[in-house]
Amino acid sequence: MTTMTTVPRILRLTVVGVRTHVSYMSRSPLEITFAVLVPLVYATLAVYLFRAADDPDRLLTAAVGAGLMGIWSSVLFGSGGAVQNQRWLGTLETLVSSPTPLPLVLLPITLATAVIGTYAMGATVIWGTVLFDVPLDFAHPVLFLVAVPVCVLSLGMMGLLLAATFVLLRNANALANPLDAPVWLLSGMLVPITVLPDWTRPVSWALPTTWGSRAVHAATSGGPSAGEVLAPMAVALALGLFYALIAVLVLGRVERRARAAATLSLA
Amino acid sequence: MSFLSLSRALTRRVVRTLRLVVVGGAISYRALFNWTTPPMFIGTLLVSPLLQLLFFVFLGRQLRVADDRFYLLGNAVVSASTACVYGGTMAVANERRYGTLGAVLLSPRHRAPLWFGRALPYVLNGLLISVFTLTVATLLLGLRIPVGALPGLAAVLLAASAGCSVFGLALGALGLRFRDVFLVSNVAASVLLLLTGANVPRETLPEWMRAVGDVLPLTHAAEAARELSAGGGLDRGRLGAELATGAGYAVLAVVLLAVFERGSRRRATLDLM
Repeated sequence: MTTMTTVPRILRLTVVGVRTHVSYMSRSPLEITFAVLVPLVYATLAVYLFRAADDPDRLLTAAVGAGLMGIWSSVLFGSGGAVQNQRWLGTLETLVSSPTPLPLVLLPITLATAVIGTYAMGATVIWGTVLFDVPLDFAHPVLFLVAVPVCVLSLGMMGLLLAATFVLLRNANALANPLDAPVWLLSGMLVPITVLPDWTRPVSWALPTTWGSRAVHAATSGGPSAGEVLAPMAVALALGLFYALIAVLVLGRVERRARAAATLSLA
Repeated sequence: MSFLSLSRALTRRVVRTLRLVVVGGAISYRALFNWTTPPMFIGTLLVSPLLQLLFFVFLGRQLRVADDRFYLLGNAVVSASTACVYGGTMAVANERRYGTLGAVLLSPRHRAPLWFGRALPYVLNGLLISVFTLTVATLLLGLRIPVGALPGLAAVLLAASAGCSVFGLALGALGLRFRDVFLVSNVAASVLLLLTGANVPRETLPEWMRAVGDVLPLTHAAEAARELSAGGGLDRGRLGAELATGAGYAVLAVVLLAVFERGSRRRATLDLM
C-alpha cells in the first residue's frame, strides 16, 4: 500500500471511528450525565466563586475553565478504560485481530471521549450565559472555535497513552480517580499555574492539557495578539503527537505480550 | 412469662439485631464495596479527596475569597462523601447488580437493622477519610488546629459521616427501582461540593441554594468544624442540625427501601437489570 492511499485510509478510519464511538457514547445516559451535569456543578461553583471574588469580568473564563475540566474528566475516564471496555464488550479480540494496527483502532475511541467532553464545554458556556448572564465576549471568537477542537485532538492523543498504560495496570481506576483534580490544577484550567509552587512548572509544561487550556483561555480572554492562541495550540498538538507516539510503542508491547500469554480477553 | 425469661428473650433479640447490624454490615462492606483493594482504597478514597482539597485551596488563594482554613475544613468534612455516598449506593445497588438482592430480601429479618448495618462501615470509612484528609492537609499547608478542638471535631466528623452514609443509603434505595443509580450518586457527590458550602462561602450563594444546603448532609458539620478550628468551641446547635439532617435521611432511606422493595416484588423486577 502506498503512502498516497494510506493517509486517506487512516483519516477515513479515524473519522468513521470517531463518529461511530461518539454515537455509541452519546446513547449512554451515564456518559452524557457525567459529561454534562458534573461540569455544570463545577461551572456554577466557579461562577459563584469568581463573583464572590469581585471578578465579574472573568465569568466567561470560569465557565470555559469548567468546560475544560469536563473534557479532561471525559478523556481520563473514557480513554483510561477504553481497552478494558472493549474487553468487557467482547470486541477486543476482533479489534486486535483486524489488519488495522491497534493504535489506529483505539485512537478514534480516545478522540471520541474528548469529543464527548465538548458537550461539557458547550453546556457550561450556555449555562453561564443563560443563568448567569455571562456575556459571550470572546477575545478571539474564531480562534476559540479552532482552539477547542485542537485541544480535543491533543487530549484525545494523550488519551491514547492513558489507554495504553492503564491496560498494563490491574487497578487502573485507582490511578484514574486521583488524576482528575491534579491535572485541572497543573494545566491551569481554572487556576493559573502561576499560583502553584515553582517545582510544579515542568510537570505543567509536559502536559498537552496545559497548552490546550492556555490556547482556549487566550482565545477567551487573552490579549489582541493571535499568536497567544496559535503558539500554545501548536505546542499542544506537538505534545499530543509525542504522547500518541509513545502510546503506539506501549500498545505494540502490550499487544505482543497479551498474544503470547493468551491473556487478551482476561480482565 | 416471668420477668427473667422476658428479659432473656429481649437480650437475645438485641444481640441478634446487633449481630445483624455489625456482622451483616461488615460482610456486605467486603462483598459490595468496590474500592476495598489497597490501590483503590488509597487512590480513590485517600489521595483523591486530598488532591481535590489542594485544588480548591489554590483556587481560593487565587481568588482570595476565603483563606486556606476555610477550604481545609470544608473539604475535610466533604471528603467523607466519596465513601459514604458511593458506598451507601453500592450497599444496595450492587446487590441487584450481582444478582443477590432476591436472596437478601427473602430474609425474614427486619429491614431497618439489615440496611443500617450496611451503612455502618461507611460511617467509619468516611470518618477515617476525613481524619486522614484533615491531618495530611494540615501538615502540608502548615495550619494549626487547637488541641482542645479535637474532641469536638471528632464528634462533628462522625456526625457528618453518619449523615452522609444514610444519605448514600437513600440514594442506594433508588437502585431498587432504577438501573443507572450511580449516575445519581455522581451528581449528588458533586452537588455536595457546591451546596454544602465546603468550597463556596454560603453567604454568596442565592437563598434557594442555601435552603437546599440546609437540608443536605455535611453543611452544618462543615460550619461547625470551621468554628471549632477557629477556637470558637463546639456549636451544639449545628451539631444537632447535622444529626437531625442525618435522621431525616435515615427515615427517608427506610421509606424508600420499603416502597421500592414492595414495588419490585409486585412487578417481579427485583434482580432484573
